[in-house]
Amino acid sequence: MSKTVTRTRLAAVAAAATLVALAGCSSSAPSDKASAASCTPAKGKVTLQYWNTVPGMDKVVDLWNKKNPDIQVQTKNISNDQYGTLGNALKAGKAPDLAQVGYDELPALRTQNAFVDASACSAATAAKSKFVPWTWSQTSFGGTGVFALPQDTGPMALYVRSDIFKKYDIAIPTTWDEYAAAAQKLHKADPSLDITFFDPNNAEWFNGLLWQNSAQMYSYSGDKWHVTVTSDQSKQVADYWQKLIAGKLVRTDLANGSTQMYAAYQKDQIASYVGAAWGYSMFRDNLPKQSGKWSIVPIPTWGANGSSGDWGGSTVAFMKGSQHLYESVKFNTWLNSDPEALALENQLGGLYPAADAGLKLPALSKGVPYYNNEKVFDVFADSSRKINTNFAWGPTQKTVNLALQDAMAKAAAGDGTLTDALSAAQAAALKSMKAQAIPATAGK
Amino acid sequence: MTDIAPRAVTSGGRRRPGGGPRAGTVIAFLTPFFLPFVLFYLVPVGYALWQSFRVVRRTGGQYGTSYTTFGGFDQYTQVFQNSEFWNSIGRIGLFGIVQVPVMLFVALIMALLLDTPLLKLKAFFRITAFMPYAVPGVIAAIMWSYLYSPQLSPVVDLFQRIGLHPDFLGPGAVLWSAANVSTWLWTGYNMLIMYSALQSIPQELYEAAKIDGASNWTIAWRIKVPIIAPSIVLTTVFSIIGTLQLYAEPAVLRQISSNISSTFTPNMLAYAVASGNNYQQAAAISVVIAVITFVLSFGFMRLTSKKAGL
Repeated sequence: MSKTVTRTRLAAVAAAATLVALAGCSSSAPSDKASAASCTPAKGKVTLQYWNTVPGMDKVVDLWNKKNPDIQVQTKNISNDQYGTLGNALKAGKAPDLAQVGYDELPALRTQNAFVDASACSAATAAKSKFVPWTWSQTSFGGTGVFALPQDTGPMALYVRSDIFKKYDIAIPTTWDEYAAAAQKLHKADPSLDITFFDPNNAEWFNGLLWQNSAQMYSYSGDKWHVTVTSDQSKQVADYWQKLIAGKLVRTDLANGSTQMYAAYQKDQIASYVGAAWGYSMFRDNLPKQSGKWSIVPIPTWGANGSSGDWGGSTVAFMKGSQHLYESVKFNTWLNSDPEALALENQLGGLYPAADAGLKLPALSKGVPYYNNEKVFDVFADSSRKINTNFAWGPTQKTVNLALQDAMAKAAAGDGTLTDALSAAQAAALKSMKAQAIPATAGK
Repeated sequence: MTDIAPRAVTSGGRRRPGGGPRAGTVIAFLTPFFLPFVLFYLVPVGYALWQSFRVVRRTGGQYGTSYTTFGGFDQYTQVFQNSEFWNSIGRIGLFGIVQVPVMLFVALIMALLLDTPLLKLKAFFRITAFMPYAVPGVIAAIMWSYLYSPQLSPVVDLFQRIGLHPDFLGPGAVLWSAANVSTWLWTGYNMLIMYSALQSIPQELYEAAKIDGASNWTIAWRIKVPIIAPSIVLTTVFSIIGTLQLYAEPAVLRQISSNISSTFTPNMLAYAVASGNNYQQAAAISVVIAVITFVLSFGFMRLTSKKAGL
């Protein structure tokens, strides 16, 4: 044994010494020129790589491949570890031509030099008119280029068990104040009944609520990022949920989409769900016995501020290193704005389209049997139009989200408050941006 | 690396004084080991070390263009100043101090019981105890998470029927719930190592002891345990390493309990940092974890071998 030890130790020391020596010669800084993408059609047949996380996307791509023999697309499902897979591929210089990226991860990946600016292709810039405005401003970073095309969105709404509300003679709440009052009444009427649950492990959901209240967490001016996660708007949302948690009016032990969550709904322990458009199929598919009991209504508003928020949704990004920008733009535009493609994605993958054409799909204007034949997509379409266009994500969003979640969990367990969680997120944002050499400061 | 091959040749020469084997033969036999060893062990370790000495810089602008450069011990300074890191080490230390002795004690008792002539159905018990090891850690954690979950668990249901309300996923309990999964997974494995060691003890020893009037109890504690001490040390070292690398069980339980933070164990912290694109910091954390693991496991071996004269 001891011989092996010495040998390993020697090898390690030698390796370390070499590496330190190697590290000494630092690479020179590259210039800040925007990557000069050209947009010329390829001669002959082209094969594109497209990585995504949507179930059934291979069928959509089959449709394209049948129609376009010269631009063939290969798909790979990376839903297992989406950003890990992408990050590693980028590091190895083997990124696909196109990849699915969530809106909140776009700035982070851009700071990792992950994208190519497709605005060299006139078809890419012309696509602007096809999409819901806020989705376009997020993929073009407020107009500095075209780095992705929007695919789907998650306009928020309130799912309610109308039968439970009726039973206790409580009106469906339209403002957050009414919602809190309803929470109290429901819990009083039946102590085992809560109005909803607060998932401490879901920063994305909480961010959607902050978004709804026009919280501006990141802006850029004077060569610096300005971090205001702890704005008054954010604090208003945090205080609101803190009161519900402290009053034990919402459950805090359930994770969104978990078996435990469905079990709680199944047992009639929870009367509503603050969700997004893509959630409509979750309830339909997991709680078939509650068909006809659910309604989808607009998300409660903050007084006179009638705006809505977005939870989730993705884009299809133009990845750096692609040799076929012209063809990528062509396929990407079709994938995310062609009515036939959008209808298939909605049917197979449950996607709620980001394209205006998608909001007018015949399939999305019919009544949905599970929801009493109500036209629930009208509610989402209305919500989609009311989403604040100026909302922007930070360049280290994942780190911030993790810090927020850790602190939200503490608050849910009675250790600190949700306002403290906002402070923790603010600190994490500044610290992580410093680590990435991104100049940032607190406050406006 | 270069010092290994010639040494192998010399030792070969010692065995066969008539003339050493040709270098080609040696290389042919060693390549299947060294090639993957270099590719999948030394290169990644080297890459991590290299990364850990670098820092990100970027050119100006809102998004800029990032590049890395030599940063000295910057990343390491940050690790040592990171309270989350030390919290996770402390948490895992507490976990290990309790879980490892409990697990190894149970494994030892089970191995000794299997070794007694009194026990029938040995093969059955051996395979049953070993079975959990065949279950991948993630699957085991998912399985246990159902048993812990108040919404779904028949166990919690049973407790509730007799008026108890255990919260396996609460802030104080969740560490021990994770420890229980690890114990369940690894006890059989450790038992098998100890049991194999017991199998190699010559029967004559027991006969001699019996003639001297030793009871089964005395044989177990005075003969069997001291003889298999090296395998107990070995399982302890494995367990120390396993504890410091704990990831799957808490990461899975985290999905149903918000009382496990993203920085619960050192490896989870490293993963969280890497997923935030800070590969250099994650590399430094990994290197520090590796060094701590090295110091603790070899420190333990040093300590026990001195004491027991192994």
